[in-house]
Amino acid sequence: MVEYHRNPTTELTTSSPLKTCIVGIGGAGGSVLDRITMDRAVDATLVTMHTDIRVLSHSMSPVKIQLGVELMRGVGAGGDPELGREAAMYSREQIRNAIQGHDIIFICVGLGGGTGSGAAPIVAEIAKSTGALVFLTATMPFSFEGKRRLTQAEDSLKQLENRTDALILFENNRMGELTLPKDGIQKAFVQADQLIAQSLRAVSTIITTPGLVKLGLDDLTSALSTSNGRCLFGFGEARGQNRGSEALKRALKSPLIDQGRLLHQTKTLLVHIAGGDSLTLVEVDSIMKQLGKNVPDQTHILFGVAVDPKLGESISVTLISSLGLTQLNTLAAAAPPSEMLPLKERSMPSMLSAVAAKPAPQLKHVPAAEPMDMLFGNDQFSQPEPQAAVVEQPDMFEQESFTSEPEPVVNAEEIPFEEEIFEEVAETEVTEQVSHQIPEPEPEPETVKPIVRPRIKDFIPTSTARSTTHLTSVVARTPTPKPTPTVEEEAPFAPPLNSVAAKKPLVSTQEEQIAFRFGVDDDRGRFKNTEPALAGGEDLDVPTWMRLKRKLKK
Amino acid sequence: MAKSTIYAGLEIGTSKICVVIGEAKRDGTIKILGVGTAPSRGVRKGEIIDFAKVQTCLNDALVRAEEPSDVMIRTVFLGVSGGHIESMNSRGAYRLPEDQSEITEDDVEEAKEIARNIPISQDNVFLHSVTRQYIVDGQEAVRNPIGREGRILEADYHIIHGLRGRVQNAVKCVREIPLEVEDVVFTAIAAAQVVLNRDAKAQGSLMIDIGGGTADYVLYEDGMIAASGCVPLGGDHITQDIAMALQIPHHRAEDVKVTEGSCLFDDIPPDEMLRIEDDNGFVLGEIERAFLNEVIYLRTREILEQVKVRCQEHIGRLAAGVYLTGGTSLMKGIDVVAQDVFERKVTRAGSAPVSGVTATFENPQFSAPIGLIRYAQILDQEKPFMSPLKRLGRKMADLLSVILL
Repeated sequence: MVEYHRNPTTELTTSSPLKTCIVGIGGAGGSVLDRITMDRAVDATLVTMHTDIRVLSHSMSPVKIQLGVELMRGVGAGGDPELGREAAMYSREQIRNAIQGHDIIFICVGLGGGTGSGAAPIVAEIAKSTGALVFLTATMPFSFEGKRRLTQAEDSLKQLENRTDALILFENNRMGELTLPKDGIQKAFVQADQLIAQSLRAVSTIITTPGLVKLGLDDLTSALSTSNGRCLFGFGEARGQNRGSEALKRALKSPLIDQGRLLHQTKTLLVHIAGGDSLTLVEVDSIMKQLGKNVPDQTHILFGVAVDPKLGESISVTLISSLGLTQLNTLAAAAPPSEMLPLKERSMPSMLSAVAAKPAPQLKHVPAAEPMDMLFGNDQFSQPEPQAAVVEQPDMFEQESFTSEPEPVVNAEEIPFEEEIFEEVAETEVTEQVSHQIPEPEPEPETVKPIVRPRIKDFIPTSTARSTTHLTSVVARTPTPKPTPTVEEEAPFAPPLNSVAAKKPLVSTQEEQIAFRFGVDDDRGRFKNTEPALAGGEDLDVPTWMRLKRKLKK
Repeated sequence: MAKSTIYAGLEIGTSKICVVIGEAKRDGTIKILGVGTAPSRGVRKGEIIDFAKVQTCLNDALVRAEEPSDVMIRTVFLGVSGGHIESMNSRGAYRLPEDQSEITEDDVEEAKEIARNIPISQDNVFLHSVTRQYIVDGQEAVRNPIGREGRILEADYHIIHGLRGRVQNAVKCVREIPLEVEDVVFTAIAAAQVVLNRDAKAQGSLMIDIGGGTADYVLYEDGMIAASGCVPLGGDHITQDIAMALQIPHHRAEDVKVTEGSCLFDDIPPDEMLRIEDDNGFVLGEIERAFLNEVIYLRTREILEQVKVRCQEHIGRLAAGVYLTGGTSLMKGIDVVAQDVFERKVTRAGSAPVSGVTATFENPQFSAPIGLIRYAQILDQEKPFMSPLKRLGRKMADLLSVILL
């Protein structure tokens, strides 16, 4: 257990003597810091660290540190935590100078990428060595970002566990519920950042403000101590009549708590109620009573009350708890999959294509090959049918011609090796930026662009080369299957479509990215326009035998 | 008191719309006066997608039920289903005030209120909240706690809720006929009233009503409802699987399923062929019977497994086994598959005997609509008896309120 110094809080009540510092690392961390800067929510030193100079130059925080100036030359880490780590090592003196002399250091990071996952452990280590309390607020990647990023995130998390005093983990997958489906993507981004900013503010308030019933760091850590746990966080503030229950209602509304449903499972729950001078005992009592209905009897409730004149007439309720990942997932699967899953299914491909302008077409079109695959695999009774199905998807052909066309261009043009790397970096960076945020059901390119535009612009000189390099690498990877071996294999009922065979290997190489896709509409037959019945990641409306066959093929 | 009331149960199913008119007698028996069915269109997976089509079919069914029974229906008990329906058990604890030791009606109400006050999503609406039991000072299985001495009273509730919009759409659809909806009932709850008897409920049983679009289930334990829900899979899915496997139209697949289909494919010789004909009787082609049956088997098994997954924790306590009802339970060999999945005794059952049109209650297709009548009867029995004068007064008040609006 970490020592907590009580004396400063007892001495002073007006201004907090604890010096706080918030560090944002990488793309996600940076945007949260921007949010905090704009809201002026927390009284703290704000430091943004990034390897990518372009992102950093847009950051709003007063202190900026470019990681690994010599090593990276202002380019992002490209999803490689090793690079991020090296970069942070290069800049460790700078980091130390920036964060030295603070009592509490919050590190804010989106795990899974390069800079965040790599640099965060180093920064945490340095922070620890300055003798401060170190908190980590981290987001775990979306599941559709693939296994690899998840492993990276988890590796990084493991390293961070020993170096921090408390971990506040957010599951990006749950963030999708923060906004209404029709809201613009920017709003979704902002809301996610806001939530994390709120949690930072809440935690710093809980620890720093003197309380009538005090909550300390020990309470916080015990509320968050679940192995491989994810943070359940809810915050609500209300004023006026009935403000107590209103604040609680808002806190419970937080998607991370899932309307209070997730609280049924928690072992420890931290509740912090803060209000102005007008806070009454009755109000506190009624809040706790209402909350009691949402929480099982055996839950250990850590309760704190603070009077903060700054709050004036309003009351704020903060709920913090944690839940094991497995529990969370089962619950989430049981509760609202109908809203969550189709959301991803629809939005992701188009989102990728909208944001990662050049590299995405492959991702987007690969899944289109799937229905074909299924069709000629199963179409045992009629031959003309699949042809019709193919005609329905003309973009398949377009894509095909698109892939094959650039080949000569590339051969003619000498593409330097560096640029290829550059392109790779750019690609991952762009997607990373997106993936920290929320899947948006209506990802109109117009709304997406503002967020990434500066970076895409920066790459414009290389963009033409980029697209071709990428395509060549793809084409080069799949030369063999082109002469339709699959057709021969299943000759009697194969549709006359070579492109399907050509696409197939792509499906396997980029399986991770398309893993989130469920049944393709064609397979759903008469249930095409109904809400999919999802279970265990399968769309049950697709014929059982078809799914079985697909599984056997893998 | 030989007073009887006439009720109408309406189920808008995926394959058929069914209206059952029944007379509920005061002594607890039911007499079926008329049954009207019409093939359903515009319903998918238990949910209405095309209002106009459903209303046409509904009118058909209504006429067919009203004619033989010579009853004009004004209000119905509407059975609803669909994948959006969920259930949960909730317990509300109420501590009696210090100066009071005997439990009163108010305390029970308070405990109920606490139990029912569960956070469900804003879009959801409560369909049923069934009292499972009361617990007085930790002593379980108290049926009626009023008048008992105790300090803490807990009410154990089983709460079934569904998406408000979907439920209201069903009600709206019926109102436009126009028919008044007296109550909305989850079909599984209704069917269980007539499929499961008291013994089966007490010993622990699982009833699965596999209909056209959904498989609704209710699980009883110690006479109390322990789990319920809906798997949005049903006979329609089997038909679709066949249609897509054989590349034949949906209605042909339905015919093949009903006339030839079976879940058993092990003992069928591989060369046994089956002719598939088109609408005019021309032969479209031949298929292996074993292949057809395997397609059916896979889907049927999956439906049952999905139900099993959802009530996994209770499966071990089903002494009375599994009861299959609903149209799809007529599938040949489904009991063998169910036996395999649940490893429990499997009974295929229709409704318990009622008087009237006898062919009706034996047919598992009508379990749910007959159950609706039974449900109405049970509700009525629970209601305090009102004198005719009072009832008249209430009716007048209703009328007045309508006029004033």
